[in-house]
Amino acid sequence: MATATRYIGKPMKRKEDPRLIQGLGHYVDDLQLAGMHYVGIIRSPYAHARIRSVDTSKARTAPGVAAVFTGEDLRGAIGPVPCAAQLPDMKMALRPVLALEKVRFVGEPVAAVVAADRYAARDAVDLVEVDYEPLTPVVNPEKALAKGAPLLYEEFKDNVAYRWELEGGDLKKAFKQADKVIRQRLLNQRLIPMAMEPRGVVADYKRGEKQLTVWSSTQIPHLLRTQLAAMLGLPEYSVRVITPEVGGGFGSKLNVYAEEALAGYLAMKLGKPMKWIESRRENFLATIHGRDQIDDVEVGVKRDGTVLGLRCKVIADLGAYYQLLTPLIPTLTGLMISGCYKIPAVRVEITGVFTNKMATDAYRGAGRPEATYIIERLMDLVAAELKKDPAEVRRKNFPQAKEFPFATPTGLSYDSGGYDKCLDLALKKANYKKLRQEQAKLRKQGRYLGIGLSTYVEICGVGPSSAMPAGGWESATVRVEPTGKVNILTGSSPHGQGQETSFAQVGAEVLGLDPDDVQVTHGDTAIVPYGIGTFGSRATAVGGTAVYKSLLKLRDKLALIAGHILGEDPQKLLFGEHKIFSKSAAKKSVSFAEAVGAAYVAKTLPPGMEPGLEATTFFEPSNFTYPFGAHVCVVQVDAETGDVKLQKYVAVDDCGNVLNPLLVDGQIHGGIVQAAGQALLEEAVYDDQGQLITGELMDYAIPRAADIPWIETDRTVSPSPVNPLGVKGVGEAGTIGATPALINAVVDALAPFGVRHVDLPVKRERVWHLMRKPRRAK
Amino acid sequence: MIPTAFEYHAPKTLEEALRLVERHGDEAKLLAGGHSLLPLMKLRLAAPRFVIDLGRLRGMSYIREENGRIVIGALTTHAEVEASALLRSKCPLLPETAAEIGDIQVRNRGTLGGSLAHADPAADYPAAILALEAEIVVASTSGTRTIAAHDFFVDMLTTQLRPGEILTQVCFPPLGPRTGTAYCKLHQPASGFAIVGVAARVTAQGSGKIEAVAVGLTGVGPKAYRAEAVEKALHGKKATPKLLADAARHAAQHVDPLSDLHASAEYRREMAAVFTRRALERALARAQGKKA
Amino acid sequence: MKVSGSYLFPAPPEQVWALLNDPKRLAKCLPGCERLEPDGPDRYKAIIKFALAAISGQYSGSVELSEKKPPRSLRLRLEGKGTPGFVKGEGKLELAEKHGQTELRYTGEAQVGGMVAGIGQRMIEGAARKLIQQFFESAAAQLHTSPDEEKAKR
Repeated sequence: MATATRYIGKPMKRKEDPRLIQGLGHYVDDLQLAGMHYVGIIRSPYAHARIRSVDTSKARTAPGVAAVFTGEDLRGAIGPVPCAAQLPDMKMALRPVLALEKVRFVGEPVAAVVAADRYAARDAVDLVEVDYEPLTPVVNPEKALAKGAPLLYEEFKDNVAYRWELEGGDLKKAFKQADKVIRQRLLNQRLIPMAMEPRGVVADYKRGEKQLTVWSSTQIPHLLRTQLAAMLGLPEYSVRVITPEVGGGFGSKLNVYAEEALAGYLAMKLGKPMKWIESRRENFLATIHGRDQIDDVEVGVKRDGTVLGLRCKVIADLGAYYQLLTPLIPTLTGLMISGCYKIPAVRVEITGVFTNKMATDAYRGAGRPEATYIIERLMDLVAAELKKDPAEVRRKNFPQAKEFPFATPTGLSYDSGGYDKCLDLALKKANYKKLRQEQAKLRKQGRYLGIGLSTYVEICGVGPSSAMPAGGWESATVRVEPTGKVNILTGSSPHGQGQETSFAQVGAEVLGLDPDDVQVTHGDTAIVPYGIGTFGSRATAVGGTAVYKSLLKLRDKLALIAGHILGEDPQKLLFGEHKIFSKSAAKKSVSFAEAVGAAYVAKTLPPGMEPGLEATTFFEPSNFTYPFGAHVCVVQVDAETGDVKLQKYVAVDDCGNVLNPLLVDGQIHGGIVQAAGQALLEEAVYDDQGQLITGELMDYAIPRAADIPWIETDRTVSPSPVNPLGVKGVGEAGTIGATPALINAVVDALAPFGVRHVDLPVKRERVWHLMRKPRRAK
Repeated sequence: MIPTAFEYHAPKTLEEALRLVERHGDEAKLLAGGHSLLPLMKLRLAAPRFVIDLGRLRGMSYIREENGRIVIGALTTHAEVEASALLRSKCPLLPETAAEIGDIQVRNRGTLGGSLAHADPAADYPAAILALEAEIVVASTSGTRTIAAHDFFVDMLTTQLRPGEILTQVCFPPLGPRTGTAYCKLHQPASGFAIVGVAARVTAQGSGKIEAVAVGLTGVGPKAYRAEAVEKALHGKKATPKLLADAARHAAQHVDPLSDLHASAEYRREMAAVFTRRALERALARAQGKKA
Repeated sequence: MKVSGSYLFPAPPEQVWALLNDPKRLAKCLPGCERLEPDGPDRYKAIIKFALAAISGQYSGSVELSEKKPPRSLRLRLEGKGTPGFVKGEGKLELAEKHGQTELRYTGEAQVGGMVAGIGQRMIEGAARKLIQQFFESAAAQLHTSPDEEKAKR
C-alpha cells in the first residue's frame, strides 16, 4: 500500500484490552455449567516404571467421587495422543491417553478421578494407589544413544526416534578450500513455556443432539476438533471446539493433549459436563517443553572472513513420547542453519532421541532460535578467531539486495531482505563505536562491559501446504450485515496477538469505515470457517491475507452495486468515510449503508448479481515469509559474583509492512524478554532419576520487568512479495534474534579472561568459574 | 492447588490463641502472613488439621520506642517495617532488610514474627536480628519468656520455640552514635530468597577504630548465624579496606555451606565473604557519616 | 543426592552393631518411625511419619540390612512411598573402634521423587543432613541406656 492510509500502519490501541483489563474476559476456568464435575489426574512419580496394578477402591468410595478410570478402563475407547509429523524412518511411539503397562516420564497421566467439586477431586487423587515396578531411567540424550542404555520402548532396539539429513552444495570442496575450520559444541537448554494461564478444558455432551462441545485454552480450535473427533470416534460435525480467552500460548497450546480427549470422553460417558484445570506443577511436568538440543558444529572459513561451508550434528532430546509436532521442530533448525548468510555448502544431521522426560514441541521460535543461536555464535567465533570485528564478518557474508529472492543451500527461498541496511541502523542506533570506547575504558577499571550482536532471519508465515503436516492455508469469511456493520470470521485463533484490532483496521481501510464498525470473530468452530490456527507467526501473513482477499471481493461487489446505483464505472469508485464516491466527482456518492441495503433488499441489484454480502477465501501462501533483524545488546558482568546485568537493548527488525506498530513492538518486546529468559535465567532441570527438580517458580527463574532495560526498537520495511499485504510475521522474531545477541555480549564481556564460549543459560556461578579458571588471557 | 481439609480458627485474643495452640499441639499450625505456610499446604507438604489464624489479634502489630528500647509486635508486616519513620531514623537496618524480602505482595502480608518463627535458612530477618543482638519475647499459657537472638535459631526450620508458644515481640536497643548498618544480599533469581544475606552493624570512632561490630549471615548454612570469626578479626582494630576484606574471608568459617541447584557450597562460601565485605564497607561508611 | 559423614558413638562397635540389628531400638532411631515389623531376614516393614517443621508426610516402606560384616560394616537400604512421593536411601556404614568408642562413617545416596522432588531444592540436602543427624543422636541416646550397660552398672 504505497498511498497514504487511514488505519493500516497506525498505532491503534487494542480493542481486546478494555475487557481484559477490567476482568470482563472469560477464560476456561470462568465457565460454570450446571452439574459440572471436576477431573483430577493421577500422575506417575517415576520417570520409568512398569505399572503392576492400580487400586482405585479407596478413591471410588470417597465422598463426592463419581467415577475413577485407569488406562485399562479406556483401552479401545479413546485413540492415542496424535502426532501430525511424518518423517521417513520415524519410529511410531503412540501414547495412550492414560498409561498402559508402562510410564515413561514423571507426570505421565495414569488414572483419572471425577468428582462433584474440585476439592473432592483433589482428595481422591491421593487415594488412588498405583503399584510401580521402577525401571532405570535415562535422562541424558547422549547416554540414551549409548550402547546398553535403558530402552524406553523395548520393541525398538534403541532410543533413536528418527534420523534426518539435509545437505546442499559441495561440502567437501568447501572444507578443502577453507583456511580455517572452527568448531564448537553448543547446548540449547530445555525450557518451560510458562504461559500465565496453564491449560484447561471444559467438555459438555448433549446426548440427544449428539453434540460434544469442548472449551479449551488452545491455539488451534479446528485442528483440535478434527483430532478429538478421531480420538473419540465421532463425526466432526458432532464436535464443537470453542476457545475462550487464552492466557498465553507461545506454542505450548499448539497441541492436542491427553486431558482434552479425556474430558470429552468423560463428559460423554458420565453424561455430565467435565472441567479439568491444570495446576502450575502439572504445567511444569506435563505441558510441552521447548528446545533441548546438543549441537556440534564446524564451519570452514577463508582468512578474509568468507564462510565456505557448515556442518552440524544435532542431537534433539524429544522426551518420552511425541506430541503433535515433536519430531518436526528440530528439522526447522536444519532448514535455517545458514541464517542470513550466503553459505554455499551445508550439511545437517539430526538424531531425535527418546529420553524419560516430557515431550518437547513448539515453543516460541520452534527450532529457529536453535538455528540462529548456532549460526550467530559461530559468526562471533569466526570473528574472534580471525581477529575481525563481528559486524564486519557478518557483512562479508550477507547476500546483496539484488540477490533476493535468495536461494539457500537448504532449499529455501528468502522472500525479501536488506540485511546490511538493518545492521547499519542498529549499529548507529546503539552508537556502537562509542560503546566499544566505553568498554575499553571500563576494562581498565576492572569492570566488564560486553557488547553482543545478532543478525538473524527467520522462517514464518507458515506456510505452503506442500511443506506443512496438515495444511498451511488460512480461511476468512467476511460478512457485511444488513445494517452496514462488518463481521470478519477468521480461521486464525488470536490469543494475545491482537488481530481483533489489526484485522478491524484492514476492514475499515478497505471498506471506508471505522475500526469500530468491524468485528473480528474467532475461536468457535461452529461459527468460523475451518482454519489452521495461530502459530508459527502466521496469523497476519496468512490469516490476514485471507481476510484481505475476502474484503476485496466484497468491495468489488459493493462497487458494482454502487456503480449501478450511481451510473458510474465501478473502477472509478472509492470507499471512504462510510461513503462510496466517484474519484472524479466526490458529490457523486452513495452511503455505504445504502449500497449494503441494496444488496439485501435486492430491488436495485445489477442484473445477474446474487444478493447478500459474504465472501470467503481460503488463502494458500506460495512461500514462507522471512522477517529479519539486527540486535545489539550491552551487558555488564560483576567480577565478584558473576552476575550479568542487561543494560541496553537495541532491536531493529523488519517484518515487512506493518499493520499496527503497537502490536509489532509488543511482539518484539515480548519475544526479546523470553529470549532473555533463555539466555540468562531459565533451565528445566531433570536429575538423573528423571525427577524435574525445577518444578516450581521458586526454582525456575523467569524474567521480571525489573530485569529488562527499556528496549529501543526501530524498523526497516522490506515488504514481502508473498502476500498482497506485504507482511511477514513477527511473533517469534524477537525470541529468535535476541538469545545469541545476549550470549555474544556475555562472551564479549569475558574476553579479557580468555573465555571463548559460555553455555545457556548464563548462570552466575558458571560465569564466576569462567572468570577464575586459569587460562591464557587474550 | 488445594490443601487437605482443615479446621480454621481465628482467635480474637492472644489468650484464646494460646489455649488453641496448647489444646491441639502438633496437629495445629499458626497462620500469620501465610506466605510460608500456605504454599506448603497447597502442595500438601504440610497438612495441619487445625489452622490458627493470628490475623484477627489486635495489639500485636506496632513499632514503638519504650523505655529506651525499640519494640516491634510480631504481626507487624514487612511493608510496615520498611516504611517506619521511627526505624528509619533509629534502626535503619530493619527497613533496609525488610525491603529485600520477596516482593511487594509478600511484604504486604508477611510478618516479622512469622518469618522468625519459621526460620527458613534463607530468610532475611534472622541475619538482621542477630546483628542487632535483639531479644525475642514469646508467650504461652504459663507466661512469657525472653530468648536472645543468639540462642533462638537452632537448626534448619527449628527455633527455641517450644510447643504451645507464640512469638509476640522483638526488641532491641536503638543504634548508638557512630554506628552504621547495612544489609547486602545475593538473590536467588527465581524465589528471591538469599543465596547469601549479610547484616552488619559497625560502631567506629572518628579515627576508624572499630569499637563494636556484629555480623549476621543467612542463606549459607542450615540456619542464620553470627560470624564470630569475622567480628573477632575486626574488634578494636583500625578499619582499612584490607582489614575488612581479610576479616570477611572468615564469614563461613565454621559453617558447612549448603549446596543446591542455584549455588554450590564453594560458591556460597565465596559469596559469604564477598557480601560480608560489602556489608561491612557500607556499614562502616554510614558509621562515619558518609553516604553509602 | 550424595550423603557422607561420620558420627562418634560413646560405646564400642559391638554395642553399636547390636543396636543397629535390634529392630526395637533401630525403630527408635528412625525419625518419626511408628512401626518397624520384621518382614524376612534383615528386612523390616516400616511406617514413618515424617516431620520437619511444617512439612510432614506419611510413608510406608521397608528397611533392609545387607552385606553384613559384624561388627565392621553393613549396608542399609530404606524405601518409602507416601502421598508426597517416594524416598529411597542407600548407604554403607563402617564402624571403627576408637579408644573404646565407635567412629561410624557413612556414604550413601538418597533419592527423592514426586511432589517433594520439585520443590525445596535448597532444603533437601539440609533436610537429609538433619534427619541423618537425628538418626545418630537417637541411636547414641539409646546406647546410654543399652541393656549391656545396664548390666555392667549392676
